[in-house]
Amino acid sequence: MSDHSSHHEESFLRKYIFSIDHKIIGIQYGITSLFFLLFGFSLMLVMRWQLAYPDTPVPLVGGLIKWLAELNGFASNGNLPPDLYNVFGAMHGTIMIFLGVVPIVVGAFGNYLVPLQIGAPDMAFPKLNMASYWTYFVGGVVMVVSFFIPGGAANSGWTSYPPLSEITTATHGQTFWLIGMIFLITSSLLGSMNIIVTIVQLRVEGLTWMRLPFFIWTQLITSFLLVLAFPPLEAAGILQLMDRVAGTSFFLPSGLVVGGEVLANSGGGSPLLWQHLFWFLAHPEVYVLILPGMGVIGEIIANNTRKPLWGYKSLVYGITFLGFMSFIVWAHHMFLTGMGQAMSVFFQTTTMIISIPSVIVLTCFLISLWGGSIRFNTPMLFALSWLPMFGIGGLTGLPLGLAPPDIHLHDTYYVISHFHYIVAPGTIFAIFAGIYYWFPKVTGKMLNERLGKTHFWFSLIFMNGIFFPMLIQGLAGVSRRLADGGITYAHAQGVIHYNSFMSASAWWLAVAQIPFIVNIIWTLIKKKDNPVDPNPWKATTIEWTDTTSPPLGHGNFEKEPVVYRGPYEYSVPNEKEDYIPQTKK
Amino acid sequence: MSDSDHDIKKHISVYRNVFLALLFFTVLTVLVSYVEFDATERYIAGAVFIGLIIASAKGYLVAAHFMHLNNEKPMINWSLILTVIFFIVLLFMPLLWDMNNMGKDVDYWGGEDQKLEIYHDVN
Amino acid sequence: MDIKIPFNEELRPDTGLYNAKLGVWLFLASEVMLFGALFSAYVLLRVAAPIWDNSILNIPMATINTVVLITSSVTMIMSWVSLKMKNLEKYKLYMGLTILCSVVFLIIKYFEYSSKFEHGYYPSTNTFLAIYFTMTGLHMLHVLGGIVVNFYLWIPGVKMWETEPERFTNRIEIAGLYWHFVDLVWIFLFPALYLL
Repeated sequence: MSDHSSHHEESFLRKYIFSIDHKIIGIQYGITSLFFLLFGFSLMLVMRWQLAYPDTPVPLVGGLIKWLAELNGFASNGNLPPDLYNVFGAMHGTIMIFLGVVPIVVGAFGNYLVPLQIGAPDMAFPKLNMASYWTYFVGGVVMVVSFFIPGGAANSGWTSYPPLSEITTATHGQTFWLIGMIFLITSSLLGSMNIIVTIVQLRVEGLTWMRLPFFIWTQLITSFLLVLAFPPLEAAGILQLMDRVAGTSFFLPSGLVVGGEVLANSGGGSPLLWQHLFWFLAHPEVYVLILPGMGVIGEIIANNTRKPLWGYKSLVYGITFLGFMSFIVWAHHMFLTGMGQAMSVFFQTTTMIISIPSVIVLTCFLISLWGGSIRFNTPMLFALSWLPMFGIGGLTGLPLGLAPPDIHLHDTYYVISHFHYIVAPGTIFAIFAGIYYWFPKVTGKMLNERLGKTHFWFSLIFMNGIFFPMLIQGLAGVSRRLADGGITYAHAQGVIHYNSFMSASAWWLAVAQIPFIVNIIWTLIKKKDNPVDPNPWKATTIEWTDTTSPPLGHGNFEKEPVVYRGPYEYSVPNEKEDYIPQTKK
Repeated sequence: MSDSDHDIKKHISVYRNVFLALLFFTVLTVLVSYVEFDATERYIAGAVFIGLIIASAKGYLVAAHFMHLNNEKPMINWSLILTVIFFIVLLFMPLLWDMNNMGKDVDYWGGEDQKLEIYHDVN
Repeated sequence: MDIKIPFNEELRPDTGLYNAKLGVWLFLASEVMLFGALFSAYVLLRVAAPIWDNSILNIPMATINTVVLITSSVTMIMSWVSLKMKNLEKYKLYMGLTILCSVVFLIIKYFEYSSKFEHGYYPSTNTFLAIYFTMTGLHMLHVLGGIVVNFYLWIPGVKMWETEPERFTNRIEIAGLYWHFVDLVWIFLFPALYLL
């Protein structure tokens, strides 16, 4: 690796667009997925208006909504018509999960940091890496384009349950969704295989399994989940595509009556088959969403408590077990399908078991704080708030994992609140923490702390303003599928007044993101001549200690690092500095 | 895989034998399928069982010899063992339809007279 | 692009693997899950179906196809062995035979499909034909992909043999692993769809 970086000039296209450098691809993933996160969030901002003030014209963007609704063939006077509400709901979920969070945690963080943390010059397959990004991009374009076709984008929820998703063959939104998903799944498969091979094969000398930073472990487990869980959804997607395009009946039972007429299909299929195949992916997918977040939080906690991560081995074994178990809990999403008591008992047992490693992770992180001299910088604030937020998200999941309470809570706002606590103040906060933490690595410039803290506090408050009242609404029994926020729903009457409060919180949450965006743009533009210390956080892992900030061109390292110690040797007694780099003899 | 000529010669003869075995099993499985089983459930189950045994034997030959799985590194073996475990989980999925009624005479699909009604405006 | 990825052709000491070998096995693992989900769907649909009339399928044709595909698997591995013995001419012969076999497979499949369509059997006819067309169709796409890869390695890609023989041999091994997997899937599809 002595001939580390190429000195000849590469064309702009090769260097920034069709780059095969993992750092550029990571940044491409990061920018694209942040854009999609913002887009998915905006859809929800409009939906929250409809929930709080049903059928009144949406302020600010009313004209745009009217234009889109009429383009899709729905009547609108600037309000969000129910059909478009369904579209927005389905696409909010799809975009946030498949185009936002997964690409940012695996595509951006994984791509950028995995080779740097293990001392590799690049991913194992750089061209495959590029292909992965561009496949993702095409999938994203297909999804976005589907908003503008007659009938609008997919409108059967992000879960796309048949028969609902299949009897709408007059419009093509769902077909676009399926085609887009096949691209996105392919992209994830390429990316995750690449990450596994990179971690297994390209670790530098001395970086044994138990010396890997925790973040690398989470990426490894996540990638295995993606490789093994995504293909069944791809198969299911192909089957649903066949149902829609070739007229087969994989998911359509015999004698289905729609709008008073028997459907002209051969029948003989089962809608439940889709649900099983879908959740076979989508439960491991939940852990795909949270595991890299845990990895980010682990790195930041160790660094800012100046202490080794407590129970490193328990963490590693815990998440390995978690990954394994996540394949045999999927049917807890389906207690209400009448799959029988025996199977319900089986799946609620495995679900209770899988909560154990999650508790181990949370406990290890909490104990890591004990006796540390904590630095309360922005990444650490996000990491600290992640702990209780993930705790709420996890604990509210327990009643859902048990069949009897799930019968009451299924499909209510309680469920929405539960998984948003995991993903929104959970994973998204971990993403913010990671961005603040690694921004100096990527750009060589520190983000502004004051703006960062403003961003943090308001985000934390308004996140809870949105999701906590949902728990109350859900316990009261309010269904999550109502386009009018519940004004015509008997169970909602006592708790309907929370709607406007939650919606206002959502809009204020949007405002709270302005400091973040300003911070990034301002730092990039203003701080031109302010090269940062390559290791501003005084961290031990290779990406900080052995590369410049930002790292050299393609190839990363001047000379191949050699690792002599574990990842978190902070505050070792009798040492001059309070940290020892992994590469120090 | 060592490169000496002698070893490679030995490999070639293994490949030839595997090829012949695969052809034999192919003919066998076709012939077995022509044997008239009674159309009772037990015999159909038997036919399926025999067919799958033969297919598995062929699959084993291809995987072990052509794909060299009989002599592969632990990393790959463990990844595949993991895959096979989840593959088996997937194949057991059809059992989830109604475990309470397994082995009893139940019409899983509710028969012809039960119609599912969906109230939905089709665009 | 002069950077060198470690262990691209040489073996990493502690895992005993080169990168692409692990990569292709992970890819095949995901393929196992893809076809696994389809087999799972097959079992379910079959258990539920009132009639499962696979007698309309042409067993002799499929048997010939099975033999053709098995033969192609053998020629594929022989092409790799030929490279191991540093015999490029034999490699080209065997690789050519592999491609020939896979094209024959597709031609036979084409006749099978068109005779089904002539008799008015479509994927929408019943769940048996639906799963039959989906599984064999997806398998055919895999065959097609294999032909593209093998053809590349047969004619345009062969120049790598001059510069990096080790790496080229690895590539054939990788392509071979994929091709044997395609064969393996057919070995299970054949009895599942045609015979049982």
